[in-house]
Amino acid sequence: MEPVKPNIIIAAKSFTHRLGIKTILGVLGIAPDVIEANNYEQLTGLLKLPNCISHMILADEIIPDPQKIHFEKLMDYCGEIKFLVLCERALTDHPSARFILHKESSNKVLDAISELLSEPEEDSPQSVESIVLSEREMEVLKQVAQGFSNKEIADALYISVNTVITHRKNLTEKLGIKTIAGLTVYAIMNNLISPKKVQH
Amino acid sequence: MNNSLPFSADTRMADVVHRDYRLIPLLGRFGIEFGFGNKSVEEVCQMYSVDCSFFLEIVNSYHNPDYFPQKQLQRFNPEIIIDYLRNTHAYYLNSKVPEIQTYIDEMEGNVPSIQQKNITHLNSFFREYTEELVEHLSKEDHSVFPYVLALQDALDSLEVPDELYGTILEKPIQVYEKNHDNLEIKLGDLKNLIIKHLPPISNNDCRKLLIELFRLESDLENHSRIEEKVLIPKVTLIEREVLQLHGTC
Repeated sequence: MEPVKPNIIIAAKSFTHRLGIKTILGVLGIAPDVIEANNYEQLTGLLKLPNCISHMILADEIIPDPQKIHFEKLMDYCGEIKFLVLCERALTDHPSARFILHKESSNKVLDAISELLSEPEEDSPQSVESIVLSEREMEVLKQVAQGFSNKEIADALYISVNTVITHRKNLTEKLGIKTIAGLTVYAIMNNLISPKKVQH
Repeated sequence: MNNSLPFSADTRMADVVHRDYRLIPLLGRFGIEFGFGNKSVEEVCQMYSVDCSFFLEIVNSYHNPDYFPQKQLQRFNPEIIIDYLRNTHAYYLNSKVPEIQTYIDEMEGNVPSIQQKNITHLNSFFREYTEELVEHLSKEDHSVFPYVLALQDALDSLEVPDELYGTILEKPIQVYEKNHDNLEIKLGDLKNLIIKHLPPISNNDCRKLLIELFRLESDLENHSRIEEKVLIPKVTLIEREVLQLHGTC
């Protein structure tokens, strides 16, 4: 089967940085469709385009201060997009975020990038049977199950109420469960929350 | 035998059951028992003093969701309709729901301890659903149905009490019967929790439970349809007549 050509965003302030990443992709024998961004606004603009981006490689200097908060916002925009951050130090301990530090050896950098691009798509046919929730959806689910409102969840996770609503919509679609009581039972069944935490 | 044809007064009652076994609980609600021999629907209805055309309308709309009774039903006395709806409520509350509850309880008692917690939560989810269902049904039994009967009384006696007049203006039937939606959504969640998310358990009660949930769901859908297509249009009509009467008295 012909592999699907990835659409990659390469986001870095400097031209040399972006060219360097493109060169690495060339070295790895990957010829994706590349879209470049040289500032944060342009990047978030690209991420809002529906469904055309599969991967992203970005340099941390493009993320404005406070970096942790802006980065987490970025992760919300990303949704299913897989991404790798080239950075001085890891920005968060979020499990779905991957980082490669500037100090790493060239081999490690090449490995990290090829691993990013060789991973199977989450919604490829072989994984259709199991229900995969993204980390963010999981976070929102936990909060919903504990009886928090959209506003409270948005504040706790540093995301907008609209983003919370989108996550909830996706949760309902993926799980086939619409009521809060039903989501709570699901969360308890899967040990996402302890029954004691449930507020009524 | 063409299955899509509606049942008529001449259809043999035995054939009604043969053609659609889902109608069995309906016979109970009309107080009709088996042992029909070759009697027609009309004959059996006479035996049990059931209004034959009303019976046919109900049975046909359960049998075929696209069957739309409309005009026929305007003829029926609201007492007949309400009597039937009350019996249906009693069937849910005294028979169907307790039956489902038994399956969940048995499951809870029989699963390995590692699954216990899950079934306990399914059980409390169902109990919560039951509470809402009971609340909804008893609201109909204790406030909506008496209102409908009071309307009919007013027409019969040609006297419209002021209180009744006020209710027609403020809370007509259209307002009250907005939705059974929430109840349906909860039932759907319960089904999906079992079908998609409950870790596999080899348990017969679980299969029985699921089948009964589907039956309850489809029965409730039919029930709502009868309330929406039969009761509400009929009552709206009576409301209009009572308002006219009030204008002239």
